[in-house]
Amino acid sequence: MTIRAIEKVSVGQNGLGAFILQCKKMDIHYCDYSGSSRGMNAFIKSQLSNFAKAHPQIEFAVSPRPRKHPVLIGHYINGRTKSICVKNMDSLQVLKKAQLLRDASGEKNKRVNKPVTSISESVRGVWSPYHGNGMVV
Amino acid sequence: MSRSLLRSVLELRTPITRLPPTFLLPVRARALSTTLQQVEPEIPPRGVPAQTTAPPERSSAAASAPTTTSPFPPPPPAPFQAGLSDSVSQLLPLLRAQPGHYVTVHIHGRPYLVTAGDQVRLPFLMSGVNPGDVLRLDRASVLGSRDYTLKGSPWIDGSLFECRAVVLGVESEPLRVKIKTKRRNRRSQRVKSKHRYTILRISELKVMGP
Repeated sequence: MTIRAIEKVSVGQNGLGAFILQCKKMDIHYCDYSGSSRGMNAFIKSQLSNFAKAHPQIEFAVSPRPRKHPVLIGHYINGRTKSICVKNMDSLQVLKKAQLLRDASGEKNKRVNKPVTSISESVRGVWSPYHGNGMVV
Repeated sequence: MSRSLLRSVLELRTPITRLPPTFLLPVRARALSTTLQQVEPEIPPRGVPAQTTAPPERSSAAASAPTTTSPFPPPPPAPFQAGLSDSVSQLLPLLRAQPGHYVTVHIHGRPYLVTAGDQVRLPFLMSGVNPGDVLRLDRASVLGSRDYTLKGSPWIDGSLFECRAVVLGVESEPLRVKIKTKRRNRRSQRVKSKHRYTILRISELKVMGP
């Protein structure tokens, strides 16, 4: 007799019941010296505090990375990371990139043809030729 | 010390000084920056009420507003027990009693057949919403269960059902590269595009009873 795992009763779906933001952590790397992180430094000084205050569910880690371009790295619940190099951007552009990381789900970019994806069973059922009144040929 | 202070002041000032004040901007830029809902005046917000960022309490209060202001045949403003035809008032409790329901909601004129728990990837980037916002979708053409179907002409009454969706976030697609060429010419142009899409989760679908 084979050992079978207990089947799951239900599958968790984000937004059904509770909503959980998928971005859990954001790493912010800057350099004090180089000019490419001038906008990043301005972002950290002026806008980061408001952005972090508006998103208490994200952990923000600011750390220097000398002699390198500034980078934003988002860590997601599904285990993936998404990193964006923000060299030579001004602070508003960096803010837009941070919002992009916040809105992302952490999945890989995919092309999807059908707008609706569902895991629930069809409401109307599947058509069967053996049921119903039948058709006279 | 003073040099670093000066540099930080300059850094803080750069994005602000890049744009002159609004009255110095050209006319088109000023109009764009102040336009609110006048982009498509002939197309009303169909599936989504205008207050898309509203929390559930506010959205449910504002949900009946677009149905009454739309140019489409308006649903009866009275409570729906009075305005419904006999067959609907007879059969709606039967539809409600069946376990599963689906609804065809229309967002910007496009139909999406959804049940509770489905994920919808809208073919556009919805502006003014953040992840976690709840939208009340009140424009639907078909509402049904396994054996019963309520068809609207063209829309069913917004007070007969409650359909809510949670904004999950924004997804993107792989970069599309289209190579454009002209005949008898060696030059070829690579046109790149990368669209962004808003993701919704249908969190609730409820058929209201009399």
